[in-house]
Amino acid sequence: MKRIAAVIVAVAAHATLAHAHDFWIEPSTFRPAVGQLVSTTLRVGQEFVGDPIPRSAELIDTFTVREGAKEKDVVGFENRDPAGYVRVEQPGLSIIGYRSKPYPLELDAAKFEEFLKNEGLERISVIRAQRHETAKPDRERFYRFAKSVLNANGNGSGARFDQPFGYRFEIIPETNPCAATPLRVRLLFEGKPLAGALVTALHRDDATARLRVRSDKDGRVTLNLPKNGVWLIKSVQLVPAPAGTNADWESLWASLTFER
Amino acid sequence: MLALLVAATASAHEIGTTNVTATFNRDHTYTVDVASRSPLVRGQSAKNLLDAAEIRFGGVRVTPELQRLPDGTIRFHGDIPKNAGPFTWRWTLTFSYYALTIGPRQQWLDADSTSTPFPLSADLLPPSRMDVVRQYLILGFTHIVPGGLDHILFVLGIFLLSTKLRPVLMQVTAFTIAHSITLGLTIYGLVSVSPRIVEPMIALSIAYVAIENLTTSQLKPWRIAIVFAFGLLHGMGFAGVLKELGLPRSEFLTALVTFNVGVECGQLAVIGTAFVLVACWARTRPWYRPRFVLPASAAIAATGIFWTVQRLL
Repeated sequence: MKRIAAVIVAVAAHATLAHAHDFWIEPSTFRPAVGQLVSTTLRVGQEFVGDPIPRSAELIDTFTVREGAKEKDVVGFENRDPAGYVRVEQPGLSIIGYRSKPYPLELDAAKFEEFLKNEGLERISVIRAQRHETAKPDRERFYRFAKSVLNANGNGSGARFDQPFGYRFEIIPETNPCAATPLRVRLLFEGKPLAGALVTALHRDDATARLRVRSDKDGRVTLNLPKNGVWLIKSVQLVPAPAGTNADWESLWASLTFER
Repeated sequence: MLALLVAATASAHEIGTTNVTATFNRDHTYTVDVASRSPLVRGQSAKNLLDAAEIRFGGVRVTPELQRLPDGTIRFHGDIPKNAGPFTWRWTLTFSYYALTIGPRQQWLDADSTSTPFPLSADLLPPSRMDVVRQYLILGFTHIVPGGLDHILFVLGIFLLSTKLRPVLMQVTAFTIAHSITLGLTIYGLVSVSPRIVEPMIALSIAYVAIENLTTSQLKPWRIAIVFAFGLLHGMGFAGVLKELGLPRSEFLTALVTFNVGVECGQLAVIGTAFVLVACWARTRPWYRPRFVLPASAAIAATGIFWTVQRLL
């Protein structure tokens, strides 16, 4: 509730909200019992406070859940929130993954520049400045790559959390996100480690518990999460859009949610 | 449908669960209903919700009243300002894309963006004071002439009592004061008498003044009191009509007063016409009372009694 209050204050001040927003998966529980049906909400928002997004075939490229070696589709009803349902069949970790189709977005120049600053994408600002495009509105296509870790029966074993889904941009835990301290994650962009990307970790119930770390040359980030609870780890990348897409940039939004 | 809309959209976030419907009503009020499952809305204070809803007419922000409907919808409502410019809407408690519906039209808004201005048709705008004055004067007048034969007959009954001006003026004044009192009291809800009582009593009052005209041409002291009492009844009748016509919220008192003035003008028109047509040259003639006043009063009395019975049935 404190976090929502902070967001409201920010909205009132027209501060950081008016740009492109984060995307993540929020299951009804991160610690289901084996056999339990978990409703899986997709959220768009800021500061780990987000609107639920109904399921839309227009948006979804893949929406799957991995349990052990198995991967199956997350089922749901079109235009309904929650967007999907997952029944956990085995103890241990299972990972829900969502990959969107590209979607167009336009932002005015000031909002875009503010967004670049907030998301650690200053290098794009520099490129725009070199091209004398700082005042040019942003025309982009955005992609969402969201993952969420369920821990059935509180048993942290048996997981394949370190196996990529193969998304274009992806956050891959290298240690168990539900238990390991510190948590190490790796950023992969088109299958290769991504260096120098800003990674932000947010605690759902404590707005002050926030980490901002850049990935090292191997794309790795070490996060000393200061407390237990529900966490969102996210990173945004911006790359030039291919010709013929009617956009200047492609934004790639990766997120990972879990409870520890 | 949704897919089509998405495809047609140039740029936006994902579609969320927020749905906004704006309605402009004939009573010159607006209603904006926000249905949302956003956590930003849940449990939010009234102040925050009011801050988040930017309702503007011609760029001027209005302060709506807030109501929470049982299904969780948040309703903002208020009066459309006078000379209101186009309506715009902005809602800051969502991150996603949502539809704003105004009548048959729909526009899609991304997060906290402002809607395109929606011009209001002239009949939705509150009338100006001069419009109200003109409209309710006419309504009041036409309620007597030609609309209110019962009131015309009552006024003629008053007029036929005497050939002198003073008794007529005194009765008319008593009648006017009385019906003004009950018109106001009834409209404001301070007095409430069923039309099933008021309407037969009005008919009976017509019969009474006409019958008294048959017996005397003198202004008896009780006649003033009785006319006053009947005036109270007629006022309730006027109020019934005025309630059916409706009063503009923005100019309630103006409408009430001018309707009453219109009624007054109607009555004076009846008396003035009668005076010019009949009394001006006929009242000094010896046949005026036996050949005109008495038969006319008898006819009015008969009509009054007929209506009394009819309205009682």
